[in-house]
Amino acid sequence: MTIVSNEEMAATVDHTASFEAPPLEARDVIIAYNGKPAVNGVSLTVPENKITAIIGPSGCGKSTLLRSFNRMNDFVAGAEVTGKVLYRGLDLYDSSVDPVEVRRRIGMVFQKPNPFPKSIFKNVSWGPVINGFKGDVSELVESSLRKAALWDEVKDRLNESALSLSGGQQQRLCIARALALQPEVILMDEPASALDPVSTSRIEDLLFQLREKYTIVIVTHNMQQASRVSDFTVFLENGRMVEFGETDQVFTRPAHKRTEDYVSGRFG
Amino acid sequence: MIPTLKTTGGLARRRRNAKLFAYFCMVLTWMCIVLLAVLLVHTTRDGIGWLDLQFLTEFPSRFPERAGIKSALWGTVWLIGMTAAFAIPIGTGAAIYLEEFGGRNRINHVLDIVIANLAGVPSIVYGILGLAIFVRGLGLGRSVLAGALTMTLLILPIIIIAAREALKAVPMSIRHAAFALGATPWQTVRFHVLPSALPGILTGTILALSRAIGETAPLIMIGALTYVAFTPQGPMDQFTSLPIQIFNWIARPQQEFHQLAAAGILVLLAVLLLMNATAVWIRHRALRIK
Repeated sequence: MTIVSNEEMAATVDHTASFEAPPLEARDVIIAYNGKPAVNGVSLTVPENKITAIIGPSGCGKSTLLRSFNRMNDFVAGAEVTGKVLYRGLDLYDSSVDPVEVRRRIGMVFQKPNPFPKSIFKNVSWGPVINGFKGDVSELVESSLRKAALWDEVKDRLNESALSLSGGQQQRLCIARALALQPEVILMDEPASALDPVSTSRIEDLLFQLREKYTIVIVTHNMQQASRVSDFTVFLENGRMVEFGETDQVFTRPAHKRTEDYVSGRFG
Repeated sequence: MIPTLKTTGGLARRRRNAKLFAYFCMVLTWMCIVLLAVLLVHTTRDGIGWLDLQFLTEFPSRFPERAGIKSALWGTVWLIGMTAAFAIPIGTGAAIYLEEFGGRNRINHVLDIVIANLAGVPSIVYGILGLAIFVRGLGLGRSVLAGALTMTLLILPIIIIAAREALKAVPMSIRHAAFALGATPWQTVRFHVLPSALPGILTGTILALSRAIGETAPLIMIGALTYVAFTPQGPMDQFTSLPIQIFNWIARPQQEFHQLAAAGILVLLAVLLLMNATAVWIRHRALRIK
């Protein structure tokens, strides 16, 4: 490890930081749990306003990689990230970076719907309110719920507990909650794996609409889902990136034999 | 052979064993309850005759018919009130630190073990500690304050352990949800973790205070076993408490004082039940609002 002075560090960061820079970029990222690497040397650039799917067999490091994009790995004891994860050219793991600030811009939806045990309204309004939102909260809640295609189902019961919603509705509420913060990037960790087929297809429809305004990275172990919803696909195996390209190409003309075997269902 | 779905052979034996075990557990449960009931009936029969308004409003006296528990009752109210005021914030705060902010380093691991062991230290030891530190060291004398601080030391480990368990029971996914919305650790704890854990923390706290209300040994140690013919007016006043008054009466040879002690026990139990009922009510309210 080299030690750089603050000025030098600031200079390198300022030089590359800009909204023209890609929303997310990984450079030789190694993520280890207690010294054991789960992600081993991944480099990729996440394209803006596109849906990027991360696929791969169980335990290949998909979720680990995803969580490094908004520093949710901070909460896993023994997790250590080396290499660089860049947001708009800024190193997310620089010591001057406040992880709270990171998560305001890079939202996350989890595998299991995890609404707060509070009202539907509060679930959506809480994030913006604690982050100092000064505008019309009701309006923000409505527009967020509309974007998540949930408004019509809940508009008459905003004060009811979020736990009274079905699983699929809860997951859309969690998406609405993430959207309310007006993030640039949304990370989704198998957002439909705990849902039934109807709810799943609603979430997928929603992803298409969100693509217009957000950069989305989605982890999925459902290959049909990846081929349906994503523009780009990353294939990971044993913590290494085997292939990264446009989804059409990855699924129909993969460059690597392992990718072909995986997407055609020969293993995994 | 014809097929059968009735219990036969080995299954019949397993069924019988299961049933026997269930009965065995039931007998054990009832044994505790019956013992308690016998105790309660016995005490009530002895004490009920002495239990009237005068008993609550008179100071202790060497004439049984004039003796009351006013000073002891108020002493206990002061003692428990102040103990709660010290122990609840400190205990909950310590639990939040250890569970939410402390992380898993060696110092916190040592703290864990120390706290668990402190919960098992005999109360008389805390009495000696209170005498040395609060009564003598800080010069608080035999005051309610010294008593409350000693009681605080005694029940802190219990509150911390109970509060930590309650915090542990809050699902990790709630914390992750809050963090992913750009919440600081404090906002996460303040708005989500603590409200979810509150019913559990309250239960633990009330159990701890219930223990404090019945404690006698540490108070005797710090000098609360004296004749006190007034109610405390402030934290620096001398005091006595219900269990001490009961102990005092039991120690006398006359039959009447034993009956007064029984009446005192009934009052103590009533205060205890009132506290538990309050806890149940608060917990119920907290759950309903959620």
